[in-house]
Amino acid sequence: MTPPPSKRQKRIAEDAAASQLSEEKKDTNNGEIKMPKKKFYRQRAHANPFSDHRLDYPLSPAHMDWSPHYPAFVDPDPSKINLSGARKLLKDVEVVDIGCGFGGLLVGLAPLMPDTLLLGMEIRTQVLDYVRTRVRALRYQQSQLKNSSAPSTSQPQEPTPSEQQPESEPSATSDDNPTTVVPGNYENISAIRSNTMKFLPNFFARSQLSKIFICFPDPHFKMRKHKARIISETLNAEYAYVLRPGGLMYTITDVEEYHHWILRHFRQEKSVAQEDGGAAGETATGTAGDVTDLFERVSEEELERDPCVQVMKEATEEGKKVTRNKGHKFVAVFRRKADPQWPA
Amino acid sequence: MAGNFQHPFLRIQHVDRQSTGSQNLLIASSGPRLYSYAAESGQRLAIWPRDVDGAEENQEPPEKKRRVSNSKAPENEVSKSAGEAAGKSPVSITWSSIPLLVASSSGKHVVALTSEDKCIRVFSVGGDGDLEQLSARNMPKRPSAIVLASNDTIILCGDKFGDVYSLPLIPGEKPTALPSRPITQTRTQPAATSLTVHSKKNLQALEQQKRQWNEGYRPEEKTGPAFEHQVLLGHVSLLTDLVYVSLPDSKRSYILTGDRDEHIRVSRGPPQAHVIENFCLGHTSFISKLCVPQWAPEYLVSGGGDSHLLVWKWAESQILQKVPLVDNASETTEVAVRGIWAVSLGTSNVIIVSLEGSSQLLCYVLEPAGTLKAQNPIQLSGNVSDLTTANEAIFVSVDGVRKTGSTQEWRETPASPQTLLEAFRVKTGSESLEWEPVQELAGVINSQGTSDIIAAAAEGKQRKELDESTYSMANLRKRKGEDD
Repeated sequence: MTPPPSKRQKRIAEDAAASQLSEEKKDTNNGEIKMPKKKFYRQRAHANPFSDHRLDYPLSPAHMDWSPHYPAFVDPDPSKINLSGARKLLKDVEVVDIGCGFGGLLVGLAPLMPDTLLLGMEIRTQVLDYVRTRVRALRYQQSQLKNSSAPSTSQPQEPTPSEQQPESEPSATSDDNPTTVVPGNYENISAIRSNTMKFLPNFFARSQLSKIFICFPDPHFKMRKHKARIISETLNAEYAYVLRPGGLMYTITDVEEYHHWILRHFRQEKSVAQEDGGAAGETATGTAGDVTDLFERVSEEELERDPCVQVMKEATEEGKKVTRNKGHKFVAVFRRKADPQWPA
Repeated sequence: MAGNFQHPFLRIQHVDRQSTGSQNLLIASSGPRLYSYAAESGQRLAIWPRDVDGAEENQEPPEKKRRVSNSKAPENEVSKSAGEAAGKSPVSITWSSIPLLVASSSGKHVVALTSEDKCIRVFSVGGDGDLEQLSARNMPKRPSAIVLASNDTIILCGDKFGDVYSLPLIPGEKPTALPSRPITQTRTQPAATSLTVHSKKNLQALEQQKRQWNEGYRPEEKTGPAFEHQVLLGHVSLLTDLVYVSLPDSKRSYILTGDRDEHIRVSRGPPQAHVIENFCLGHTSFISKLCVPQWAPEYLVSGGGDSHLLVWKWAESQILQKVPLVDNASETTEVAVRGIWAVSLGTSNVIIVSLEGSSQLLCYVLEPAGTLKAQNPIQLSGNVSDLTTANEAIFVSVDGVRKTGSTQEWRETPASPQTLLEAFRVKTGSESLEWEPVQELAGVINSQGTSDIIAAAAEGKQRKELDESTYSMANLRKRKGEDD
């Protein structure tokens, strides 16, 4: 048996990788953008949402400069600027993937809604760097494809996940080498670093979003860490604020306990204590004055017709990992209702 | 020795009891105690908790981060009251300060927060100014703001974990009423399974957990407080201030909350506090104080770690004015707003602002367009601690312990009597807003003094803790270089 490599050996290997990484980044000089390799962007899977970090966030949504993120959507009229003096876009970001990880969902959704701006939000810097490089590489590939091949095959190619993939590079091999021009050319996706638990309202105005995805969130198994979970009844109020009436909140997890946590925090499922207190007239749903005023659960039949659910299950990196490990996937989608009437 | 320093008044509150026919009171917190005074004469009426024999307080201030068990501590104390129990079973002082103090609008009740045990204590105010403790409720996290809402029937409490709780002012008959609408769940097995954790270490940990479960171990359930309460809303940030606004015209009520991450959130009042109406975003540093004048409830004056105030039309998230607090602010000027008060004295409606560790009160007149017009400031003999209005005058509690302008340096020797309170009224007949001191009442209160800061606490670590409990704003500022 060979002992595991020492920390020192590991570090040397990482240094070598890092120098390769910087070379890779240099590659952009001669115009070619290569697909990033995940092994150079490793980061531990958890981040403390309560710490200050060193985050950039706009003063308000009207101060956010989106132009570097969606260059193809910048308003051609240069006189149209926002409160920070940045060029305005022709449309607002409408779909957000909170905790986008390596960006699998964005890449999967991009061709499905080519005229909608999608944004991934990720707290881990390394992972975010990966997504941004990936998006740049995809856009570059698209421009190469458009130039070389005549626009004969504009059929949207759904990235199909292969059944068994090598552990090391699960996605970069299959999805990220589309041989066809894809609707939207990935100009409609981007990602930013943010702590959405704190700063979501700095990026999006009331009712700006039509879809929010929270895919395979950090389960925070320990009870004393539950406050760090990204879904909670109090945070749901903020998701409701940025979602427009009729907008959808998608959740998926492979942790059954977390799935029930989600249902409880949307008040779609009774907790034990509530069942005990049920005699006192308390029911889990429909009571005035809770989150059921704002969200209703979307039915299974409706989800079967929703292509986004399929992408969420199959195209995300975590989704593939769960498939590989033969785990379960628990989906819950909630529709934002109109604001309740003010009490008379 | 020239004598000891005395605890200054950290909070002071006028209790208007005209509706009940009793005399008006001034209630102040100083060190670990509450003092009540007749608002007319300044005569001291009561001290809570009552001293048992002499003024011997426990020499050891409680440990700062002492864990208070939620299940045990409160029950023992609930039934006790300072009045009846004096002598037999006095309330033992296990806290060092009373950082929050609120009086109900009827003047019948006072709500105070004791620091280390994070305990919200409700008192009934006797006809003679006596304070009788009705209830003591230990909160799970340190409350940072307390207000009374819905005609004094509920307490709204914001805490440093960002949550806002609603508690009935007078707890119901049921001794441990089920927390309303709980969402905790008892587990029947570990949440992780071999399908969700994969690394060797995690699998080992899971095996270990499963063994423990089979042996009957259950992780400690984190239950909320045992008394009746409701979580209304939550920020993922330290909540710093909370305002409840009830608009009589539209019959609508709102909760405004400010946090350390520059947000001011406008939510609907209960029972719809989960509906966020808008955010007032414009500050670039922490928020510390929100002030919605009763006489102009459409406006909000907010301040914090920025060197300016912002005046808002809060329902529209619209900034009306940026009001500089220092003459020539540079990048390095660090000011923190300690208090913003909207006072109405005769015909003058004034916004008064104090800065942390400053002996000046900045005065502004709110003009009809919703802009603040600066007036001459009021100079005090020490750092401003708190302010209340009574008898057409403002009563300002000042820090006679620390040097003027400093939050850490103590004065050489205590003055005798130490100034605790100064009072001012608006000079009549002058064009601009001018103030004149009112001597009588404050003089009476000052001459009666408070309790001594024990000599051991006047230096070293204890002194630092004392400074930090009086001046805590600096901790709200984000420091550079913190990252993972």
